[in-house]
Amino acid sequence: MRRVLLLALRDLRLEVRDRTGLLSLLSFFAVMLFIMALALGPEEAPLRRAAPGVLWVALAFMSTLLSSRAFALEVEEATLDDLLLTPGSKEWIYFGKLLFQLLLLFPLSLLALLMAAGLFYLPLERGLPLLLTLLLGVLGYASVATFYAGLLARLRGREALLPLLLFSLVVPVVLASVRATAGLVEGLPVAEVADWWRLLLVFDVVYVTAGALLFPVVLEG
Amino acid sequence: MLLRLAGVSKRFGRDWVLRDLDFALERGEVVALLGPNGSGKTTLLRLMAGLLKPTRGRVEREGKALLLPNPPAFHRRLTAREHLLYDLAFHGQGGDWAWALGRFALPSDLPLAAFSSGMRKRLALARLLLLFPDLWLLDEPETALDAEGRGLLLEVLKEARGKAGVVLATHDRGLAEKVADRALFLGEA
Repeated sequence: MRRVLLLALRDLRLEVRDRTGLLSLLSFFAVMLFIMALALGPEEAPLRRAAPGVLWVALAFMSTLLSSRAFALEVEEATLDDLLLTPGSKEWIYFGKLLFQLLLLFPLSLLALLMAAGLFYLPLERGLPLLLTLLLGVLGYASVATFYAGLLARLRGREALLPLLLFSLVVPVVLASVRATAGLVEGLPVAEVADWWRLLLVFDVVYVTAGALLFPVVLEG
Repeated sequence: MLLRLAGVSKRFGRDWVLRDLDFALERGEVVALLGPNGSGKTTLLRLMAGLLKPTRGRVEREGKALLLPNPPAFHRRLTAREHLLYDLAFHGQGGDWAWALGRFALPSDLPLAAFSSGMRKRLALARLLLLFPDLWLLDEPETALDAEGRGLLLEVLKEARGKAGVVLATHDRGLAEKVADRALFLGEA
């Protein structure tokens, strides 16, 4: 557990010191939201209707870029071998890389939520249920993205392959997240939205477990 | 037996880099790996470390192996102190990083981006000494080192001998003759 936390904090430290990676991610994400708002606006109704979809497209892009970034840190410096030569099983690397992304994705998700509220009239009255949806959706997406980013880490063209491989597996997570967010925006009772949360929870458990179990195998040379 | 290779072959695409290699290493032994560029020295070290799987044959290893690649791999945005602290934590070990950095005359709080290649090589040796694996796999450890650095390398190898097994890939026959118990020649019939 200590190794997982330290790997995540080390990657966070590297990312913050680099600055360019995070700044390009943030600017890409902000420009994307602005363009979508300009394209769909200015009337409130279409903007509000599109808000859940736009929010999750932005989060999916961010998670994909961050997962790729998590392993690029090792590939650029040729340090992945050092991690692989640590004693014991290698699941901790998966969890460390996943935690690194989550530590960045959760604050970025909050920022996305606030921007979506400002630009797309996304109501924030149901803040806690919205946060729960973000938490479950982001965890599901990032768990698959981390697995594939590790699998592709040493391949050329990994940036092009990652979204293609990810797409088929994350469709249920994205759909459930968008439906849950839309339900909350439309004012559906929490009991109805809870079905989507349960579905997301199941996917999260399955994806995190499968990712951790398969990760050491895919990292073998 | 610390390391045993039985009938190991490695192919990349259609090219065989190594064929039917048998090799064994005991604790306390230093073996030099000699051969021209492209003879498969680095590939063999990576096979020994378990970072590559042989196309044919078997690699058996006891204990912890560490590879010192050439050039050494470090995160440029970390300082030497941070790097050693993370390394120790990832390996679940304790150790006196300040002593290790002092011994190799390295600054503790300078980002590694500011290190010369010789300083990076010294840091890699300090790291090895701190983590002290059972199997030391060194890929041209003498390159980029000045006279003082080479002296430190010889000291480190002397300390490794007896407690660990060392495989040292090098082009420097003088170094091999000085430190190795025996040599394995690659790329020769």
